Amino acid sequence: MTQLQIPIHSSTLANGLRVVIVPDTTAPVVTVGVYYKIGFRLEPQGRSGFAHLFEHMMFQGSENAPKMQHIKLINSSGGVLNGSTMYDVTNYYEAVPSNALERVLWLEADRMRALKVDEENLTNQRDVVKEEVRVNVLNQPYGGFPWLDMPPVAFRNWANAHNFYGDFADLDAASLADVQKFFRTYYLPNNAVLLMLGDVNPQDGQVLAEKYFGPISAGAAPPFADPTEPPQTEERRGYVREKFGTLPAMAIGYVLPPRRTPDWYAMVLLDQALHGGRAGRIHRELVLEKQIAVEADGGVDDVFGYNGPSQMTTRILHKPEYTAEQTLAAFDEVLREVQQKGISDEELNQLKVKWRSDYYSTLEGGRGGYMPRYGLMHLLACFSLFDNDPQLVNTVLQSFLVVQREQIQAVANKYLRPENRAIVFRAPVSKDAKEAA
Amino acid sequence: MATRAPEMASTVPVLAPERPVTWPKRTRARLSNGLEVVLAEAHSIPKFHGELFFRSGEALVSDRSVGLAEMTSTVLRTGTANRNSRRIEEDLRRLGADLGTSAGQDTSAISFAGLSEFAEPLLELVNELSRDASFPPPEFERERRQKLEEVKMERTSPGFLAGERLRKVLFGSHPYARVSPTEQQVAAYRREDLEQVYRKIYTPENALLLMVGDFDPQTMLNLAEKTFGNWTGQKPAAKEAPALPAFHGRRVYLVHNPGSVQTQILLGCHAITRKHPDWIRLGLTNSLYGGAFNSRLVMNIREDKGYTYSPRSGVSPLRQHGYFSVSAAVRNEVVAASLTEIFYELDKLRSLPVPPAELADAQNYLTGMFSMGLATQEGLLSQFATVALNELPADYLETYRDKVRALTSEDLLAAARKYFDSANLQIVVVGDRAQIEQQARLFGDTEVYNAQGERLD
Repeated sequence: MTQLQIPIHSSTLANGLRVVIVPDTTAPVVTVGVYYKIGFRLEPQGRSGFAHLFEHMMFQGSENAPKMQHIKLINSSGGVLNGSTMYDVTNYYEAVPSNALERVLWLEADRMRALKVDEENLTNQRDVVKEEVRVNVLNQPYGGFPWLDMPPVAFRNWANAHNFYGDFADLDAASLADVQKFFRTYYLPNNAVLLMLGDVNPQDGQVLAEKYFGPISAGAAPPFADPTEPPQTEERRGYVREKFGTLPAMAIGYVLPPRRTPDWYAMVLLDQALHGGRAGRIHRELVLEKQIAVEADGGVDDVFGYNGPSQMTTRILHKPEYTAEQTLAAFDEVLREVQQKGISDEELNQLKVKWRSDYYSTLEGGRGGYMPRYGLMHLLACFSLFDNDPQLVNTVLQSFLVVQREQIQAVANKYLRPENRAIVFRAPVSKDAKEAA
Repeated sequence: MATRAPEMASTVPVLAPERPVTWPKRTRARLSNGLEVVLAEAHSIPKFHGELFFRSGEALVSDRSVGLAEMTSTVLRTGTANRNSRRIEEDLRRLGADLGTSAGQDTSAISFAGLSEFAEPLLELVNELSRDASFPPPEFERERRQKLEEVKMERTSPGFLAGERLRKVLFGSHPYARVSPTEQQVAAYRREDLEQVYRKIYTPENALLLMVGDFDPQTMLNLAEKTFGNWTGQKPAAKEAPALPAFHGRRVYLVHNPGSVQTQILLGCHAITRKHPDWIRLGLTNSLYGGAFNSRLVMNIREDKGYTYSPRSGVSPLRQHGYFSVSAAVRNEVVAASLTEIFYELDKLRSLPVPPAELADAQNYLTGMFSMGLATQEGLLSQFATVALNELPADYLETYRDKVRALTSEDLLAAARKYFDSANLQIVVVGDRAQIEQQARLFGDTEVYNAQGERLD
């Protein structure tokens, strides 16, 4: 296999803003992203959901581009934009025809420099966020399962364990002063990375980055709470009522080894052995062979995108004729098989080929087909902010391809233990209870 | 305000000159057995994406039951004369490949993507699935039971319930009215039904093989001929379809979903197919109405009023008919207020010409978005599929942007008047009856259903 050679031009401006440019003239479009190293994990206590609400506020206007202008300017340039709040980063990104590059940089710089929002914007976006929570969580079967259900069961440190979408009371309590403080604390050039990918000449991109972002003042290094978890000594279990769905569900999460250690690389491949689609052992055994489950999937989500405690999580919806304990026993048997017998060289080779193939797709892939190179952008951003090394995009694949089968069996025994896991059971409420509700 | 530096260029940078948009050359061919092939090079990653389309789906076999084409596509990946289910899945992993099977109203498809170095064995597997699927009885039985759970489950999703009801209303006795089977229908599926559907739909004369990726087109064409060339089978006969219902006035369909903390609104009317000469102008009108973030509907009920998170409108093209729809999930207290704004924005587009600046913005949006698909193999595949499956002109992609730019405010006004049939829109609301019925009834005579589709009153 040949070494990847994606041309990555990275630098740091005087104010600490990291700049990463990857030229590629396949199409006359450019993807621009700004990632800030603050996500919902480390948002202020008593302000659950604030990092995400704040993300919405970043679309509400800046000094030279008032409300509606950000959206209007990008759309009317032929592009699309969005943002997302994750555990440890929040991103803002645009894909536009490349003739609009300068305009996009101007907009991103304007809101990094001078967010300008008022009480009315905050009320409006608080309402929008509540509808987002309703449509994705409160009014959906299995809404928020398991990504919102698992953290309070699995973790003890507030940073990892709170409601990331936000309790409505906390959203209501969020003030304009909170918005300004959060902006001043975390939305700093020295806490961010700017990315340009696609139809952009690296020298031109660098000049434009300097022109628009160079004048923005750096701030004091932001304070980050410590997300370290106290040691876990026994299995943790939690129970959630399912209001709409018809099937009992459970999620089983195992805490992962530290990022980019040999154990972690082996664990990610083990995750593929367990969760890799219809060939994965969990789906194969629970859905296809034993036919206990209707759905059994999951795994490590956004492999490179975390900078704190995270899990490999299996999500199971099972047939009502099996109890939760029977289902869990079948799941445990799948793990026991790997722990006792390991995996064959043939299986490991399949996993590596598939991982390599998936990695290429991640690099190329968009979001919903309309955000070219989103995947590459995301990896470059996380490797810049967490590892200070965007070139990892070219080399990290190798670290997976050298994993040996003995390591897979070893991490299965070391990490897939009851005292390293948490289980959330989400059972449907009975029909009668629902009618009375 | 939170400001970090005093000076900053306060005016928006102008757009640089546009770079040319060049679509990759397509190689079109017909194999000796009649199979149509379209290939294009794209060397973004050392992989390729393909899709083997069959130009028939649920609508062709709807006389037998509902959902049979989809069930056929589900079970066909579970076994062939040479490979059992487990072998198929492990072979895919060995090739670094993904494969999906699906069926809609008008097409069935096997989609695949994999490493270019393993193109030959992956095509061989696709070939086997498309002609030698064995529908093993235990696999069929398992998938049928799975499907039973799925059809119970989907009735708990507000989005599903809204879409299902709107399709029933708009399409009446036409096959397009039925988006999903009942439990009784699934229980009555027989393995033989699937085999017959398979023999009828999955034939080379009914197929289109599309591949985009890191390969040499001539080599790939030779490989396709070698792999698929001796497969035979005819195109199935077309089927007569019943006429659609006509509407006189608005009507409300309330689907009672007890305990809902939000209301799913979905409105719709008949529109046009992808082949219709008005498609592009309706597309531009829609993008301005509710098809983009910057559209009037989103600015109104999200960014101004905060009623909803994700309002949108769209034109859904099926092969024989298309329909226009508007959707929004809103909080229960503002169902009537949201509907009022939805109609206000529609009627405004029907009454007043779009100002030139707004027209230009929308034209830029649509033409710019069109180029995004160029950057990925999947994006290219999807554009080529649209052209080929809808039998659009060979230069459709190359001329699309100019056609969008040539449209005028008068064109949009005409399109809105013709297709945004505000007076006869059919209105579906899914939510808790006690909280929304009074508001819903303000907009027309109201039929009430439960989540199972039974009429309550």
